[in-house]
Amino acid sequence: MSDQTGTSVEVIPLGNGRYQVVNGSRRLIAFAVASRDVWVFLDGHVYTITDRADGAARRSRIDDQAALTAPMPATVLAINVAPGQRVERNDVVMVLEAMKMELPVRSPRDGVVKAVGCQVGELVQPGATLLELEEPAGEVQLPTPNAQLPKDENIER
Amino acid sequence: MNTRPLFDRILIANRGEIAVRVIRACREMGIESVAVYSDADARAVHVSLADHAVRIGPAAAIESYLSIDAILSAARQSGAQAVHPGYGFLSENSRFAAACEEAGLTFIGPPAEAIERMGSKIAARAIAREAGVPVVPGETPSEQSDAAIADAVRRVGFPVLLKPSEGGGGIGMKTVRDEDALSATTAQARREAVAAFGDGTLYVERLIEQPHHVEFQVLADHHGHVVHVFERECSIQRRHQKVIEESPSLVVSPALRQRMGEAAVAVATAAGYRNAGTVEFLVEGSGDSARFYFLEMNTRLQVEHPVTEQVAGIDLVRAQIAIAAGQPLARKQADLAQRGHAIELRVYAEDPANNDLPQAGPLLLYREPVMPGIRIDSGVTEGSEVTVHYDPLLAKLIASGETREAARGRALAALRSYPVLGIRTNIPLLIALLEHPRFIAGDVDTGFLDAEGDALRAPLTVGPPPEVTTIAALVRAERTTSGIVRHGPVPSEADPWSSLKGARV
Repeated sequence: MSDQTGTSVEVIPLGNGRYQVVNGSRRLIAFAVASRDVWVFLDGHVYTITDRADGAARRSRIDDQAALTAPMPATVLAINVAPGQRVERNDVVMVLEAMKMELPVRSPRDGVVKAVGCQVGELVQPGATLLELEEPAGEVQLPTPNAQLPKDENIER
Repeated sequence: MNTRPLFDRILIANRGEIAVRVIRACREMGIESVAVYSDADARAVHVSLADHAVRIGPAAAIESYLSIDAILSAARQSGAQAVHPGYGFLSENSRFAAACEEAGLTFIGPPAEAIERMGSKIAARAIAREAGVPVVPGETPSEQSDAAIADAVRRVGFPVLLKPSEGGGGIGMKTVRDEDALSATTAQARREAVAAFGDGTLYVERLIEQPHHVEFQVLADHHGHVVHVFERECSIQRRHQKVIEESPSLVVSPALRQRMGEAAVAVATAAGYRNAGTVEFLVEGSGDSARFYFLEMNTRLQVEHPVTEQVAGIDLVRAQIAIAAGQPLARKQADLAQRGHAIELRVYAEDPANNDLPQAGPLLLYREPVMPGIRIDSGVTEGSEVTVHYDPLLAKLIASGETREAARGRALAALRSYPVLGIRTNIPLLIALLEHPRFIAGDVDTGFLDAEGDALRAPLTVGPPPEVTTIAALVRAERTTSGIVRHGPVPSEADPWSSLKGARV
């Protein structure tokens, strides 16, 4: 395979997750392993390569449900909203706890809580639906990303 | 020479890298180790390495690693004679230290009274002041009129912080730099203190600008000997969590080192301290004219103790065990010296490109670099499961060299050969930090990482270079062809992998 400059890139499997990379005249050892994504370590950087079809499928499922999902395994500390309640973008809708940190989960947009998918005290897994949002009547539906955990709000305890 | 071990069996009341560290020291000293574990840690590295292991409860720390009853019962059950608390968890709990002694177990740490005394910031400050060690100047004026506050401000010296006396967490703190702003800011600080805490009483404290966080390791035995083992510079912090520590500190000159070391010994002596401890200071300025102020004393082994071990050639965990067994310190102050430079980098399971979000999951691939001048203290191995229940510290990489620059070069080379796959870690951020011109110049105060953090993180979200997408395609092919591993280069233009160039991150 070639990159734009025409320099050849060779990859030689060395076994046990190790790969010799020869990029032009530069040689490096990379490491890689596959789970759902492929993880690659090269020169101090880590890349996760998601299979395009698989990634698109996962994304569209989340969009369809307009659900807020858990970004990581965590315990639900508090739920600040109930079904039918209007929320605004950036409202703290619940608080998760993971690794001794409190993680406030904020609403990614304005909307109405359709359903709450977890209980206080529950251990939720990544991708688990925390909350479903629906649009107030007559408004345009926007895609919903994963739960947003804004900077500087991870409170150490 | 008497070769009988100091103890027959020690219980380590901790987990992760520090439990592994203590277990290894026990083995070197011919002492049997007893690991304790929660249900989440049944297959953890510290459990597999210890001579004995006792389950102490469910995953939640409050029911396991923080349960005094569970740990004492494990000690009884295992026949341990002494308990090493590590750091965190129960290590600075004076009730735990006392309960160990009452149960006939030697607590490998300071006496319960010393933990309690130094655990109170007010009492610790009073002890330091009585020992003639400077503390950050400050007072709560007994009269709170504008004139009395202004007098206090002049005694303390500009710039000052006006803090709600009842407050905490930085709420309602106001900086005053000169006389002009004094009366207006005093009125405002008083209003905010009333609004936030229902009490307008103000505490006046000198503002230390761009301080360095420098701490001194001390060791004290049961025979009246107290020594310091030099300093650690811990100014690279993220929201008060240390990320990089090093020794020696670039702001500490030999004369300042002597003064600060004597101050650390004076504080430890006045506190009736025994075993290993750390005296923390804020340093203002640098060189012989720098000023230092006592901050607090940590009555435990520190996470960053390896940098001291590397430059002073002393094993602090062995020293702790020997002191607890009643042995006198092996070396006097005059026998201790610093040699070369050491830098410790904390490898955390968190995503630096995503608000440092803690990560959990399996370590699909985990290979520690083995190279000259590199020490790794870790509590995980390939296949370990990182859980949400505990601290996200995976490992500490300690690089040593003849000079700071040599140690920095070794640290960079090692981090670039330290693959951790399956969860995100802060390794890319540590590399960016080590390459930052201000770090290279040693120009880092405690505000450095919070100020430069966004710029350091910006390059962490770049897409994969072509060789990475090639590797990914190769890995997928290896997986799907189950067992048919291709050997040799994969270079040809007609090669099917080149069509996968557009794979997405």
